[in-house]
Amino acid sequence: MNHQPPKAPLGIFPRSWSELRAGRIPGNIPIWVGILSELTEFGIFFVAYFIAKFNYPEAFSLGPQTVSTASGVTNTLILLSSSYFMAKAMINIRLDKRQKSARFLWLTFSCGCLYLLVKMAEFYWNHLHGFSTTSSQFFTIYYYMTFNHFLHVGLAACAILWVIFRLRKGAYSAKQHAGLEALAMYWHMIDLMWILIFPLLYVLR
Amino acid sequence: MKPLSKIEYYWWTLIAITLFNTFLGEEFESSALVSILVAITVMFKGLMIIDHFMELRHAHKYLRLMMRIYLIFFPSLIILTAFI
Repeated sequence: MNHQPPKAPLGIFPRSWSELRAGRIPGNIPIWVGILSELTEFGIFFVAYFIAKFNYPEAFSLGPQTVSTASGVTNTLILLSSSYFMAKAMINIRLDKRQKSARFLWLTFSCGCLYLLVKMAEFYWNHLHGFSTTSSQFFTIYYYMTFNHFLHVGLAACAILWVIFRLRKGAYSAKQHAGLEALAMYWHMIDLMWILIFPLLYVLR
Repeated sequence: MKPLSKIEYYWWTLIAITLFNTFLGEEFESSALVSILVAITVMFKGLMIIDHFMELRHAHKYLRLMMRIYLIFFPSLIILTAFI
């Protein structure tokens, strides 16, 4: 559990939303503004998917059978493991075990890189099999979603490097680790988005 | 051998559910039942991550509520599309 003092309210939200009344905000307020914006962005992707699937059921029935399910499953397992490593990094920083926390952050970073490699291999595999953004309505949505997600993982992986650097400089401790926690929240959000994307593009026909 | 902590159990459960979902998609023809099962397992996975990895279970109630609604709403659309 976290015992950091409540953050000062921004003064733009109702009082009932304050930490004292509604509960602790993990990380910081700006990261949650970012997370909710990203959720809105991905929400638009999901709505686009369902509208397209409703209008072009054949393309969306064939599509998942042509993409590489093995890549999709591998990336899901990689991202779930990365979320676990991130949670372990948080557990260790709360115990003031900075080295161990850094080790788990490196594991999370490695998972992020591995995800990017698998995804690049998948895009190349698609290219070799003649699939592109214009192959069908399914592939338009597929590239729209997966490439956006790819960019988010890449950016968040860079953020992990920054947090590891800050951790090594002694910026985080058991008492003060809001920055690390903010990164953890963002990383878990990326994992959540993939959990929603995976069945839509690889499982359901 | 060191006993597994709670977080390890959640991790292995999430992996098992992912493999189960893939098995459903690969082995069975697309049907309403498969869609419902996939949607429910996606919801469950999402809520597990929100509660135990993001630790929102004991955090800000409105953030928790927003995240939960999101992870219930979009998988519900999978069920909806299975019937239209």
